[in-house]
Parts: sequence; structure tokens; C-alpha cells
Amino acid sequence: MDIPAMRANFAKAAATGDEAPLYFYAHLFLSHPETRQMFPVSMAHQRDRFFTALGDVVTRVDDLDALVPILRQLGRDHLKFGVLPAHYPAAGASLLATLEHFDPEWTPELAKSWAEAYDVVATVMIQGAEEAAGQPAWWDADVVGHERRSLDVAVLRIRPQVRYDYLAGQSLSLETELRPRLWRYYSPANAPRPDGLIELHVKARDGGPVSSALVRSIGVGDVLRLGPPLGHLTTGEDSDRDLLLVAGGMGLAPLKAMVDQVARQGPPRRVDLFAGFRTEDQIYDRADLEQLAGEHPWLTVTFAVSDDAASSLAHGEVAEVVRRAGPWSSREVRVAGPEPMVTATVAALREDGVPEHRMSSEVFAPSRPGPSVDGEVTE
Amino acid sequence: MTSAPSGPGSTDRGLTPADLYDVRFTRASMLHPGYVESEVDRVVHRAAEELARHAAEKAQLRERVRTLEAQLDGAPAHEPPSEQAVRILASAQQTADNYVAEAEQFSRQVTGEARAEYEEAVRLARENAGAIIQAAQEAAARLTGPAPDGPAQGGHGVAELEEQVAYLKAFGQACRTQLRAYLEALLSDVENEWGRAHPGALPAPARPPAQRAAPEDDADRPTAFEENTAAEGRTGNDAGTGVPAASGTRPS
Repeated sequence: MDIPAMRANFAKAAATGDEAPLYFYAHLFLSHPETRQMFPVSMAHQRDRFFTALGDVVTRVDDLDALVPILRQLGRDHLKFGVLPAHYPAAGASLLATLEHFDPEWTPELAKSWAEAYDVVATVMIQGAEEAAGQPAWWDADVVGHERRSLDVAVLRIRPQVRYDYLAGQSLSLETELRPRLWRYYSPANAPRPDGLIELHVKARDGGPVSSALVRSIGVGDVLRLGPPLGHLTTGEDSDRDLLLVAGGMGLAPLKAMVDQVARQGPPRRVDLFAGFRTEDQIYDRADLEQLAGEHPWLTVTFAVSDDAASSLAHGEVAEVVRRAGPWSSREVRVAGPEPMVTATVAALREDGVPEHRMSSEVFAPSRPGPSVDGEVTE
Repeated sequence: MTSAPSGPGSTDRGLTPADLYDVRFTRASMLHPGYVESEVDRVVHRAAEELARHAAEKAQLRERVRTLEAQLDGAPAHEPPSEQAVRILASAQQTADNYVAEAEQFSRQVTGEARAEYEEAVRLARENAGAIIQAAQEAAARLTGPAPDGPAQGGHGVAELEEQVAYLKAFGQACRTQLRAYLEALLSDVENEWGRAHPGALPAPARPPAQRAAPEDDADRPTAFEENTAAEGRTGNDAGTGVPAASGTRPS
């Protein structure tokens, strides 16, 4: 396998911008029409994603140790799209055809290298999928509750039809048949419950096809499709340090799940939750959180508003509000929210002496359909 | 014999298993027990013919299968699609993508505008409410304020002032109620408009998005209202190692 030559060749295809992925998908759908139904109507986002990921993976094939766990997860995750082992060679053939099409100096050796590399990747992904053979490829979940909390936020309660295991703080991908093949990530806002109910917080983004359908069109009785859970934000059950949870906007969901986790399973620890919003009206889950704080003596909930002069709540960016209430240097810290808020909070706490290894965070950004090569959920 | 094999017209549609099952031969006379020989012969003959026909047909079909299989082996297992086909599909897909993007852009613009209007309406209503309450309070202060200056007016004046205070309180209360109703009506109005902004709820002959999306830079407006709110989905980010030092920190 001549990896430098493969990289040079891939660069030629990548340099054509949208053309190479367009060619790749057209080729794939024409030679295997049955694969078309795995993709959404609009392929615009899909194009950058899948083709880039494919290229990345194949050119990094020399670092198998790092790549294998990611590929397994990726292979497992692809089950929900309906991908079967037979589809891998199909995509491989179209990939090679595309690379050949955009490289005037294509050689049989190059073809052989690519075929070998692709074969390794496909084998690992198929293994990953097979390891999950005991699990469903996806889970159907009934919507059993739908509450509009504000103009654009809804709280959904769903019940998977078969058991769905996850950890508090993780997220799950979901699809609604109103927007076929558009998978989006959401965080359950509760720890796993004996009755299996999952609470989801959804904000309708302007022009966001899935989020606005979930907020405005979905109702009780509809069925959602869930993919397997993923994510690294956890309560750190091996630690009994007290927790500081800092949420911005919809980042509240995974942190509320952590509060629930401490309430259900412990270990007993103090939890201080800070939730930042722009205005007081936007605090869509206030009643629930205040009730929780009333029930549990170990929990405090503080709301911060950044742009609401009339409010009697703490004013300022949530990072500043948290800082004013410090010091927090003995805590385990979890931060979730939009990117600027997460960056500011983590920086402020680091400056105040919270060691890096006791902080973890998750950035919430609009509509991210799938995990990247690095196993992260990215834009 | 009573059944089909001897019946008229039965010969040209071949012999079916049912025909054979249904065969009933006529009993022969007392002298010759058993079936009428000629009838039995006829049926046996026809059965033999039928079997021969099937055998021939089977051979023919086997031959055909063999030639088709040979053709299949000769042809490439999967003919790669032609360049032209790939190009046509690629451009069709691109056109579809553009339409979807335009629709999304249109929806973003409409919802963005609706949100702006909503926020503006709420803000105005709030200001209005604040101003009315303040005016009421000032009026109350003016009426109750001078009271201590004129104790000479006696109990009569105090009673009157108290009455006025009570009236003003009631007036304030009424204002509040009115304003709340007004605000709620505004909110539900905006909610309705919002619902209508949903593309699915649009009346059929909607204006083409291309025209709506045209030159004004309205598309940028919605972002102003997204600040500090996280939306659906998320990006993973390992803060433990990955978060860059921020400029957002301030002393104390």
C-alpha cells in the first residue's frame, strides 16, 4: 500500500470541491440504486461529510490502532441507516471510480492500494456492526408527551419500544419520518428510568427542518427512531467530589440528566447547577428545576440572564455568575452549551484553579447529523 | 364413463391431474367384470401423450436456462454506469439540493421575521405596561402626598383621599388586567402567525422563495436572536484537552 501516493491522488479529487462527491454519489446510486434510500432528499451536507470522512479514513489507514475503535463505532452507528455488509464493496467501487475519474495519472498500482485500504476499513466497520448483532439496528420510540414550553422550545417525553440503555450525559441520534434520513443528536434530560421514559429538550432553529418538526409538528402517538447512544460527558461515578454543572441554553439537558443520576444512584454529593439564558422568558424548564432544588437539599439551582434588565435573576454571562459564586477549585465540573459560553466558562474556571482533568464539556451547536472520523459529534 | 376424458372439447386443453382424479369408467356387463376396455385405453393413451409433451417442454426450458446463464456469465457482473448518466444524475441532484436549500432559507427568513416581530411586540407591550403603572403610581403619590399638609381639612379630607387611593388601586389593578389580556392576545396572535409561517401550513400558491430571498439582507437578521441559545444537536468537544484559552475571562 503506497500511502503517500494515495494521499496525493485523493488531494486531486478533493481539489475539485463539490464535483468529486457529486460524481461519487451519482455513480453509487446508478450502480446500486437500492442505496439511494439511505440518504436524505438533499445531499448537500451529506456530500462534504461522507466523502471527506471516507478519504480521511482511508488515508489514515497506516495508524490502525487509533482508527480501529473509531471505525467500529462508525460501523455500529451505520446500522441505523440500514447499511448491510454487501453495501461496503458497492461504495468501495464507486470511490475507486471517482478517484480514477479525477486523476489523469491513475495507475493500476494506485487502484490496488486503494482497494486494499478500503478493504481493511470496510472489514473493521463490518466487524463493528457485527459486534452489535445482539442489539437492534435502531430503536423505535413512541412520543408519549409533548409540551411547548416557549415560542420555540418543546419538551418531549418518549418511550422506546424495547429497552434502550444509555448513561446520563450521553446523547442519542434520532430521526422522524416527517424528515426522513435526517438524523440529529439530542441529549436525554434524565438518567435511565425503570419505566424507560426519556425526556428530550428541543429548540426549533429558524429553518432547521428536524428541530422545527419536533417542536411544531410532532405529537403524542408519533414514533421516532433512535440510534445508539454516544458521548463522553458523564457524572464521573468513580469520583465522589461535589459537582459544579454549568449550562447555557439547551445545554441544560445533559446536566439535568446528571442531577437526576445523582438523585437516583448517587454517590451522594453536592450539586450546584448554573443555567444561563438570554432572557427570563427563555428559561423553559424553570418550574421543574426549582421543584428539584426544593426536593433535594444537596442541590442548588441558579439562573443567570445576560440580556434582561427587568429580571430579578442574576445578571451577566453565566461564566461570570459562576465565577462570582466560587471558588470551585475542589469540584468536578461539567459544562454544556453554545461554543462561546463553553469556552468562556472553562477558561474562567481554569483561571480560578480548577484542574483541567476535572472539567469536561460539550458544545451544543445547531443540527449536527453525524459523528466525524474522530468519533466526535461535529458540525 | 361419465367424466371429462371422453367429453367433447376436453382433448384440446390437455390432460390435467384433476381430469385423471375425476375419471370414472363405466362398469362392464355381468359377463365382463371391470371397466370398459376401450375407455381405459383411451385415457392411458392420452396420459402418455401428456407426459411426453411435458418432457419435451422441460428439455426445451432447460436448454433456454442454459443459454441465458451462459449470456449472464459472459456479461460483466455490474456494468459501470456511463459517464453521461453520472453527469445527468449529478446535476439533477444538485438542482434538487438547491431547491431544498432555498426552501430552508425561506423558512429561516420567515421564522426569523416572525421572531423579531414577536420580540418587538413583547418589548413594546412591556414598556407600555411599565409606563402606565408608573403614571398610576405618580398619580397616587400626588393625591396622597399633599394630605399631610392639610390636616386642617379634618376627617372628611382623609376619608375622601382614602377613597381616591382605593379607586386608584382598583384602577391600577384594572390596568394590569387589561395589559395582561392585551399581552396574551398579542402572544397568541404571534403564535398563530408563527404557526402559519410553517411551510406545511402555507396556502398552496406561496410566493416563490427565490423572489423572497432576493436582495435585502434579511437573511442575516435571525442570527441576532440566537445569541446565547443552544439549538438542537451538538458538537462534541473534549474540553479536558481541547478548549482553547478564552478571552472571555475577567478579574472577579
